[in-house]
Amino acid sequence: MTSTLKETIRPQARWKPRDVWCAVAGAVSLALAAWAASTVVLPVNSDVGLVGVLPFPFWAGVLILNVAFVMALRGDAAGPARSPVMVWLLVVLVLVLFGAAVFVTDVPRGEVAFRHLGIADALSRNVAIDPNIDAYFNWPGFFALLATVLGAAGLDPVTLALWAPVFNVGLWLVGVAVVTRCLTSDPRRRWLVLWLFCLGNWQDQDYLSPQAFGFFLYLVVVALALGPLAAKAPPFRGFRRADLAAWWRGRYPAEPRPGYRVAALAATLLLIVVISASHQLTPFMVLIALTALTLGGRLLPSRLPLIAGVVLMLWLVFPASTYLVGHPPLADAGLQTAIDANVVDRTNGTAGHVLVVQVRIALTLLLWTLAAIGTVRDWRRRRLDIRVLLLTVTPVFLFPAQSYGGEMLIRISLFALPFVALQASSVLLPTNIGYRPSSRAAGGLVLTCLVLAGMTVTGRFGNAQYDVFTDDEIAAITTLDRMAPPGSAIISAAHPTPWRNTDYLGHRYRTIEDLCPPDLSAATCGPVVYHYAKHNAAGSYLLLMSSAESSLVLQGQTTPGGFDDLEAWLDAQDGVELAYSNNNARVYRVEP
Amino acid sequence: MNFRELSRPTLALGVAAVVLSLVTLVGLPTPLQTLAAIGVLILLPGQALARLIPTTDAALGVLLVLGLGLATLTAVSTAMFYLTVWSWQACVVAMAVITVLACLARARQEVAS
Repeated sequence: MTSTLKETIRPQARWKPRDVWCAVAGAVSLALAAWAASTVVLPVNSDVGLVGVLPFPFWAGVLILNVAFVMALRGDAAGPARSPVMVWLLVVLVLVLFGAAVFVTDVPRGEVAFRHLGIADALSRNVAIDPNIDAYFNWPGFFALLATVLGAAGLDPVTLALWAPVFNVGLWLVGVAVVTRCLTSDPRRRWLVLWLFCLGNWQDQDYLSPQAFGFFLYLVVVALALGPLAAKAPPFRGFRRADLAAWWRGRYPAEPRPGYRVAALAATLLLIVVISASHQLTPFMVLIALTALTLGGRLLPSRLPLIAGVVLMLWLVFPASTYLVGHPPLADAGLQTAIDANVVDRTNGTAGHVLVVQVRIALTLLLWTLAAIGTVRDWRRRRLDIRVLLLTVTPVFLFPAQSYGGEMLIRISLFALPFVALQASSVLLPTNIGYRPSSRAAGGLVLTCLVLAGMTVTGRFGNAQYDVFTDDEIAAITTLDRMAPPGSAIISAAHPTPWRNTDYLGHRYRTIEDLCPPDLSAATCGPVVYHYAKHNAAGSYLLLMSSAESSLVLQGQTTPGGFDDLEAWLDAQDGVELAYSNNNARVYRVEP
Repeated sequence: MNFRELSRPTLALGVAAVVLSLVTLVGLPTPLQTLAAIGVLILLPGQALARLIPTTDAALGVLLVLGLGLATLTAVSTAMFYLTVWSWQACVVAMAVITVLACLARARQEVAS
């Protein structure tokens, strides 16, 4: 017996007209959304990103999809619609929300996926790991996996990166589904959790990356911790020493088969090692989750967090020691530092960009508020599962420990999202488990889902003006890759730039925003960039793209006029000549 | 060990790993090569290892196939890079060997039970 809860209500085996209509509605919404997204013209010219240019049929598709889902979820007295219908609607939602950019362009969004392809390429060319190159080579697990899969499968790397968000969210949903099965017996709640997980997933961490891979493995570890490794504890009697000792000693495995538990423990240890080798942050998330479950009396063996901690420390002390020498883990710890990096520094820029950031914050707060209300409601009805609460709250403890390049809040909201969705679903469904939502409640649910979908598309694709690249920009980079000799410096205006995917170690890559912050004016920044470019023995290339310029303008680092002045100043210097240009990009060669 | 006592899925899994690894090493047209490689690198080892964990929950079983398959391939690839012996062909062979070993371990369980 496992702790996985059995469904209290079995869906009826026969197909009903409602099921068929819901499935057809899903197909119609997919067709509408995909067609509408494919009509978007690049580059995206809106400060609020894709949401500003997606035509009306896309939103009609989103509306139809959410109505169909709520109808299917409401079902009838026997339960929600059949599982294939619910799965199909989820597939459509993933394609619409996480594949929208794929319908717009055949180039992966953002810079980092390109960089990750370059690291895998560098690994497979060198067949060795040099930890002195950069941080990625201190946690090379995911890149080793990527190099092997790309080599053996013969896949086009860029196509893999393009579809990675859809693939990763699909993997995550399998994990969330299994975790949710361990935590609730209500089939409607299980489906709604998966839906809310997608609707609240604005964090955009599902691209081809170690963190996406790490998050999937984290979900597998949590599933094992809540399943075969779960423990049951006697009633808690108080904080007196004797009571605590009796409570601690009274814990027992929920799973009676020792062989099953040992095999699950071995699998968990393998997963912990791989997570520690693949990503900096995820092992800490695993460690605090396992620690919280153990201290809550819900995980056995109780030494598992200790083992996870030892594995993590061993990885930091040996394979990752090169990186840690120059970057102590707690160097930028502190609540104020974390707030500055995660909130203050992110709320700058044009009005549209600030609006997008505010929508992201509002979406997170909305879901957390719903979850808080759901938690209070469950607590009052004496059905609050302490494990959900622990898994929701524990990621927050990492907030003051590391600013993580200003991304800690994003990661925390992602790791808490499955459990936030679970608690939020408690508010959105009838109080009595297994009851069918009324028509009025279903209407409210549709409205909530629509609001969340609109906010997620806004938040997720809010940077489309600078992280969705045109064919012209890709053509400029391809040309630059051909013309730049080994050892030359390539200087782009800003991040994101879709580079480094083919010759990661072959050039010195810099951006103007990194070379001369915070003043990017021609008078101050121009000489700095020119001096850097001029003093590279193998020559330098300046890459100026529309998207990078938009990045600087949207985030308030320069103005269109200021950027033009900088380019004109650089163009006028000795040894600088225009080597390539098209509608969206210019490449200047700088002689040494 | 008496091979007649082996279950068909265990036998099929081991044979499929050997055949698919050979096919992947020889090479196929792109879509087939992709399927064969994903099978031999991730799905077959994942399935073979997940069968050593006697879960009765089908959903957890599917999750374990994916999780263990990806985690094992990551561990093998990373170790090969650190040992500077990596090639994707070596990884294919290693994953096929792991699948066969897991099938043998499962066969011992089946014979014992």
